[in-house]
Amino acid sequence: MINFEEELKKFHPSLEVEDAEEAIYNQDLTDMADLLVKTIKESEEKSEQ
Amino acid sequence: MFCYNCGCHLSEHDFCTACGVDVSLYKKIMHISNMFYNEGLEKAGVRDLTGAINSLRQSLKFNKNNIEARNLLGLVYFEMGEVVAALSEWVISKNLRAEKNIADDYINMIQSNASRLDSINQTIKKYNQALLYCNQDSRDLAVIQLKKVLSLNPKFVRAHQLLALLYMDSEQWEKAERELTKCKNIDCNNTQTLRYLQEVEQMLAPEEAVRQPGKRKKEDTVRYQSDNEVIIQPLSVRENKNSAVSTLLNIGLGLIIGLVAMYFLAVPAAEDAAANEAKKPLIELGNQLDVKTANIKELETQIAKLQTQNENLNSELQGYVGTDGTLSTIDTLLVVAADYIESGDIYKAAEKLEVIAQNINIDATSEAFQKLYNTLLGSIGPELSQTYFRTGAEAFRTEDYATAIENYLKAVYYDAANADALYELGNTYRRSEDSANAIITYDKVIELFPDTDWARKSKRYRDDLAGGSN
Repeated sequence: MINFEEELKKFHPSLEVEDAEEAIYNQDLTDMADLLVKTIKESEEKSEQ
Repeated sequence: MFCYNCGCHLSEHDFCTACGVDVSLYKKIMHISNMFYNEGLEKAGVRDLTGAINSLRQSLKFNKNNIEARNLLGLVYFEMGEVVAALSEWVISKNLRAEKNIADDYINMIQSNASRLDSINQTIKKYNQALLYCNQDSRDLAVIQLKKVLSLNPKFVRAHQLLALLYMDSEQWEKAERELTKCKNIDCNNTQTLRYLQEVEQMLAPEEAVRQPGKRKKEDTVRYQSDNEVIIQPLSVRENKNSAVSTLLNIGLGLIIGLVAMYFLAVPAAEDAAANEAKKPLIELGNQLDVKTANIKELETQIAKLQTQNENLNSELQGYVGTDGTLSTIDTLLVVAADYIESGDIYKAAEKLEVIAQNINIDATSEAFQKLYNTLLGSIGPELSQTYFRTGAEAFRTEDYATAIENYLKAVYYDAANADALYELGNTYRRSEDSANAIITYDKVIELFPDTDWARKSKRYRDDLAGGSN
């Protein structure tokens, strides 16, 4: 049986057009490729030391 | 695919042919990203939008530069009515690849139409307001607001789901089912939609189960849907068989009711028609009377106007006509002429001519009158003009400019060819610091007596005054 109050908590206010800019800036764009490159560079630095 | 280290194009080898760095892991990551993109594309193709979003997000987690995946993600968001999320993805995509990017077209499509953008914003605001109403327990208002949202953006899945939830809460299962079906048509594999739908079907199923079992009790109603309404039509209601007596009784009752209705409706109408017919000649006479009264009033107004005009003309004529019936002004002029011929007193004649000029408009008088008046004025004018000129000059010397102006004006009046008087009048105005009149007078001197010493002097003074006033 669905509980209305509980289900209602799952709905969040939608972003308005004015807030789009902030949402774009706050988006974390780090991907696996970034992590890989970072790890490789760190390991290279360690081996050089 | 390009090397993450030097940016060169990668070959089929597991190392970069330009810088020699190992790219095997990097290549795998790119392949996984592409794999998720393909999966997302397939899911979007069968309208599993939620699944497509998940796959495309995964794809972007592996490779944020997967422009196709990002653009498709934006498109899927847009299809679900999440316009701001879609715009965000397209803007990021455009920033990652500025040239040859379809995201540019998508953004332009939305931004170029100001009314559409405004409508999108209104939809979002209304949805947020509806959510607020839900949290404030104003569910009726929330339903109204959500209906508005969906009329503006029928593909807004979240709004459909919230509306379905509200219907479910108020146990309007059919309506909830309709909303959820619409959700399913947009996004066929949305977990939340499917969960709600399951609940709704469970609530609707027992009713079906009771109706369909082996007993097969005949249904007493027929349900069918017309537009948005469910029509329930009873089947078991049957008319009782009437006996012949009751039929006759009903017919008789109908006749009585008909007669009574006719008495109350038709008879008064017929009476009104007859009365109206009788009144017709009276109305016609009344109309004729009105027309004649209007004519009389108009004629009376005309008479009053003519009487006023007549009185005015009579009073005007009284001004001209003397006691013996002759026109007094003509009489006066004749007397002036006779006196002047007899005595030769130009001052007396001038005084009387001034009185005549004050009382009547000389230009409006007869030709003979004007001729006599002008002859008299021409006879006495030059001499009189010289007299006034001398008096004016005397006043000018004593710096009594007001008197000087008065006398010079008379000198010019009695002899328009008296250039000296006109020039001195200008000088007097100038000395009394009346630049406007001085300039006008100097202009007259220049115009009437060109190529004279007066004109040259007048021009010099005039230019000085004009320069000073500027």
